[in-house]
Amino acid sequence: MGLQAIWNLGEVLDVIRNTILTAARRALLATVATAFAATAALAAEKVAVITPYLAQPGTQFYVDAFKARAAELGWDVNVIDTAGDVAAVISRMEDVVNQGVDAIVINVDPAQVGAGLQAAADAKVPVFGMDAGTDPLIVANVTSNGYAMAAETSVYVANRIGGKGNVVMFTFDPFPPVQVRGVIAKAVFGNFPDIKVIDNVTPDVSDGGIADSRAKMEAILAANPEPGSISAVWAAWDQPALGALQAIEAAGRQNEGIVITGIDANPQARDAIATGGNFEASVAQDFAGIGRTTADTVAYVLGGGTLKQNVVYVPTKLITAANATDK
Amino acid sequence: MGQVMRRYGTAAGMAAIVVFFAVALPDTFLTLRNWLNISQQISMLAVVAVTMTVVMVMGDFDLSVGSMASLAGVVAAVAFTHGWPVWAGVGAALAVGLLGGLFNGLLVSVVGILPFVATLATLTMYSGFAFLMSGGKTIFGRDIPAAFSGFARGGITLGATDGRPLVLPWLTLLALGVTAAIWLVLEQTAFGRRLYGIGGNAVAARLAGVKVMRLRLLAFGFTGVGAATAGLMYAARVASANPTQGSGLMLTAIAAVFLGMTMSAFGQPRVLATLAGVVVLGVMDNGLTQLHVDSYVRDVVVGAIIVLAVSISAFGRRATGG
Repeated sequence: MGLQAIWNLGEVLDVIRNTILTAARRALLATVATAFAATAALAAEKVAVITPYLAQPGTQFYVDAFKARAAELGWDVNVIDTAGDVAAVISRMEDVVNQGVDAIVINVDPAQVGAGLQAAADAKVPVFGMDAGTDPLIVANVTSNGYAMAAETSVYVANRIGGKGNVVMFTFDPFPPVQVRGVIAKAVFGNFPDIKVIDNVTPDVSDGGIADSRAKMEAILAANPEPGSISAVWAAWDQPALGALQAIEAAGRQNEGIVITGIDANPQARDAIATGGNFEASVAQDFAGIGRTTADTVAYVLGGGTLKQNVVYVPTKLITAANATDK
Repeated sequence: MGQVMRRYGTAAGMAAIVVFFAVALPDTFLTLRNWLNISQQISMLAVVAVTMTVVMVMGDFDLSVGSMASLAGVVAAVAFTHGWPVWAGVGAALAVGLLGGLFNGLLVSVVGILPFVATLATLTMYSGFAFLMSGGKTIFGRDIPAAFSGFARGGITLGATDGRPLVLPWLTLLALGVTAAIWLVLEQTAFGRRLYGIGGNAVAARLAGVKVMRLRLLAFGFTGVGAATAGLMYAARVASANPTQGSGLMLTAIAAVFLGMTMSAFGQPRVLATLAGVVVLGVMDNGLTQLHVDSYVRDVVVGAIIVLAVSISAFGRRATGG
């Protein structure tokens, strides 16, 4: 009898619950749900873009280009910024997996969001990297080719100095994306019998890299006082190139024809290149292209295509005085 | 009427939020899988907020919990890079948390600095230590043992739906354990009752023979260990440590305690009320993400809800003259 009463009570509670839910659902549908229905177009592919770094300029370029391409494809895109919180990226990945998105795009080191990648893999939701890094659980990472960027500038240097002279290199092996650039530059210079790498500097980057690179370059200039004893400075990124430029100008040796190149083409580097001084070239990543190509890669895979490679490279562009002020 | 509004206004609001998401997301929100997700997502915040409650009971604050969480993660990660076993790295991080918490307590109770000022200073110090130890870098990859990061991915398998396992996460269980322990300490021991006494009237408590100085010192120790625990949970979840990753926890934890205070009888911080506050914040994040609400709009909405809850509580208090 007691059991029966409890059973009845359970039934009554169920009825009450269902009544409330149904009533609430109706009321809501009439008022608020239309707003959500408008954004959640039926049958559109649902894609979530999750990043902790939306406030950074490069990321905004990727995301805007991705959204533009996704709009052409008719997708329903949800961009989520966790404002620097990497654990929240995992949480939001779990949320959108649960919500049933068709694909996820991340812009964070996959090594830090393994739990989220696993949740997506369990639910068979493909995850793509937008300049993120490679991981067995990421279908493909879309990024720039660091090897190719280094080849552009090192070959520029070799050609500019006529395949002959002393070169100073600034490299940074502890950071893998920069380390690969140094490898290529060494190979290129090694292929010219008359080019000699007289110094290979790893600057202290704790202050941003410019100040220490300048100090190191001043010491190298002091050790090589003869005009023409240094033909070029090849830097694996822009900050050491800017530091070397400051050192050369401070030493009054800007008219010896020392060629400087950097990589990344940040605004300060573009300004220096545009003035037509010693800093002659850098390489710009195509951030918008990375965003667009990521959308195309997602579309290809969602359309049933299979990618053999797990990295998709987007071409970069050599920046010289001729195009440094182009946008 | 005012009394009712004050006591149950927040609870009704919380229920309304859950009903709203249940209706707006009929297929995914009220599923066991989603709630297990939410429980794991809020586990770190729960540990910080619940241990923060211990000092807030006395009317104090600890602003250094976010920095301490970052520092604890970095301490463990650096220990791992030097080949320490997992238990030793975790132990070192918790010890740092205890020492840091007791140091806060020392400044507040023995030296007599206002908690806001004292813990603002230690916030900066602990953050500085975290940067010093890590060299400002994120420590990740092979340096972090799989046994450590695996803890944040594992749990007790409850079954499977849609071919995917349903797991009660270890992080959730840990947060529940910490909550239960702090509940016992605050609600069931003389120590806890004395802390509430200090919060009611510190002078009266001292005159009644309560060793205010010693209790305040100890209370900050709880908060320090809680922050370090949350920092370790965070580091395990992201399988990495960097010197700023815990910084978001502090303000959210204080917000959760305040949200909880609007539900309790005399507007006091209570452990279970704090937990309810944490759950609401977690539910908002989860539900609004699923509803496609812009991340920045989400922040505005969450802030507005805190203002609303505290306002209703304040009106209720005025209406009852309490």
